[in-house]
Amino acid sequence: MRVLTNKLKYLIKISLNKKIKTKWFVIVNILLVLLVIGMVNLDTIISAFGGDFNEKTNVIVKDNTNEVYDLFKTNLGLSQNYLTDLENVNLSKSEETREKLIEDIDSKDVVIIINNDDTNTIKAEIISDQFVDTVLYQTLTSAINSSKITLSMSKSNIDPYELASINAPVDISRNILDETKEEEDEHKSFFMGIIFPSFILPFFMLIIFLVQMIGGEINEEKTTRSMEIIISNVSPKTHFFSKIIASNIFILLQVFILFIAGLIGILIRKYTAASSFSLGSEFDLSSIWNTLVSSGVSERLIYVIPITIILMFLSFLAYSLIAGILASMTTSIEDFQQVQTPIILICLFGYYLSMLAPTFEGSIFIKIVSYLPFISVLISPPLLLLGQIGLIDALIAIAILSGTIYLMLKYGMKIYKVGILNYSTTKIWGKMFKAIKD
Amino acid sequence: MLKVNNITKKFGDLKAVDNLSFEVNEGEIFGLLGVNGAGKTTTFRIIMGLLEADEGNVTLNGKKIDYDITDSIGFLTEERSLLLKMTVFDQVLLYGILKGMEKDSIEEELDKWLERFNIKDYKHRKIKELSKGNQQKIQFITAIINNPKLLILDEPFTGLDPINVEMFMGVIREFKKKGSIIIFSSHFMEHVELFCEKLVILVKGQVVLGGRLSEIKKKYRKKNIIVHGDVEVDKLMKIDGVLEVNKVRNDIEIKIKDDNVVEDVFKYISKCKNITKFNVEEPSLNEIFVSKVGESFDK
Repeated sequence: MRVLTNKLKYLIKISLNKKIKTKWFVIVNILLVLLVIGMVNLDTIISAFGGDFNEKTNVIVKDNTNEVYDLFKTNLGLSQNYLTDLENVNLSKSEETREKLIEDIDSKDVVIIINNDDTNTIKAEIISDQFVDTVLYQTLTSAINSSKITLSMSKSNIDPYELASINAPVDISRNILDETKEEEDEHKSFFMGIIFPSFILPFFMLIIFLVQMIGGEINEEKTTRSMEIIISNVSPKTHFFSKIIASNIFILLQVFILFIAGLIGILIRKYTAASSFSLGSEFDLSSIWNTLVSSGVSERLIYVIPITIILMFLSFLAYSLIAGILASMTTSIEDFQQVQTPIILICLFGYYLSMLAPTFEGSIFIKIVSYLPFISVLISPPLLLLGQIGLIDALIAIAILSGTIYLMLKYGMKIYKVGILNYSTTKIWGKMFKAIKD
Repeated sequence: MLKVNNITKKFGDLKAVDNLSFEVNEGEIFGLLGVNGAGKTTTFRIIMGLLEADEGNVTLNGKKIDYDITDSIGFLTEERSLLLKMTVFDQVLLYGILKGMEKDSIEEELDKWLERFNIKDYKHRKIKELSKGNQQKIQFITAIINNPKLLILDEPFTGLDPINVEMFMGVIREFKKKGSIIIFSSHFMEHVELFCEKLVILVKGQVVLGGRLSEIKKKYRKKNIIVHGDVEVDKLMKIDGVLEVNKVRNDIEIKIKDDNVVEDVFKYISKCKNITKFNVEEPSLNEIFVSKVGESFDK
């Protein structure tokens, strides 16, 4: 028994060494870590190289009416929303002539000429040397329009308090009557924006990597016939488990490296964020956490995180088992690439479905596919986090996946035993079914 | 003792091995011969437990061969079963540990054999960087690293030059002296003839000839007479019992039906001029092999 354990341990060690003790593993992971850190700090990197985005836009107003500028300034402040950052706008009043302003215009200047029109209201001209950012243009036109309304109303002898009340922003209170719905349901895109790049995409890529790695290794041993020597000394079961354990350890190591790279990226961001320029896509851990807390999602994390980890472990195991079983029946890596196609397609189906699933809340189809082994890991955790499926549904998905793993171990081992010493390329599926029957 | 009892193995409608039986004692070298596809490799795989026989069984010292005793078996496959990206040391270490050996003793044995085969500088080289002959040496070392009680060698001399063939044969003879059971296959009959005591010849999975080599040769009645001198081939061919006359280099080789023909040939030769050689020789194993395999294919 001790000797057998030593043999299993050594096979795992050899299999791991083959993957880790290579210059490519080191090079790829250095690049991967740099890429993850870079992606987390993309805006800092872009701003570090400098560019026009640091230059402020000069909005120069030539108010020929002598009434509008102050109103315009106020309304421009009211128009500010999450899309516009008026800290990057310099607003000033000019007494120069139109011709002089045009003569002195710079590429970052926007000149607004405001005149009275024939109907005693105002008309405006916006002049610039280059294109103006669409959002800024809309903000400026909106402020001009608001100024016109305010000016017109004040000329109509409306009470100043009433006028202030008309101009004040509307107080909007959001109230959803269905008690089962909470406000965070409206944050789907926000949550999916976090879950997708941090979990679903890396998981999908790791699965593809895992499947190809197992197939490649088993086929290498088959094509060199070293499989005959190995299997004459250890049972196919021991050999199979060594491949599954080694591959899963390797993949978990990759997950760990990605996780650490992400953490380093966030830490770097935290210490460099103060000096960085924001591109508008705010990525701030504390603001994410605040959103999670305010929406009530943080309470679900207590069970979503462990369930996601369990599903992830089981899914890695399930994918490695199916890859090992199929690889045993093939005789070359080219054959394996053909046989693995259904696995990749299933995973791809889960990948796309995971993107769409949250938008079909209440769909029976989505609920059923969230139970399916191999893809449940991609669909269940996001739906569980958004509260679109319950804890029971996630537990059903785990139970079905565990049952599938048990069946693969029971019947897959029979296929593996026959397959690893099979060098024929004909009737592969027939041989697999015959092995299960025997 | 290795005992193969009436084993039969079918692949679909094809009988790869048909009711094969033989025994090999400690300190004996057994030859398993046959053309390609005769069933040799299938037989080796059944002995190693890689394939299960449909009928019959294989025992080593009375016990069924399973993972409890494979640590005492050495196996060299026909194809090079080496992981080419590994170094020589890592490869031998892997197979040694799979034989239940400890790392220190594997390294000690490896150093000994690398020196013996004049390749000690290759210990940390990748296998793919070695020549075919040196790869074969490494494969041979992996088969003998555990000092096996049963050594199975499937075409061990493939890719080797005559000097290295001689080196391998020397090592195999040493294992024979130590009492190992050795069973091997080869297409080179001169190698088999040099050190095999017992053999079987397989054709389409069936034994067409088997037993001790000396007895096989004795039973095989056809003989060859080698003559050097001025003889007329036409007259020789007219002698009753002469099957074939060939010129082999400067000699004449006369194949005869059996011993009784020798006297008639001698009577004719004694009348010829310049005769300097008259040898009656037993046929080579190669000749017996070609004859028996040819007969079986004709059937």
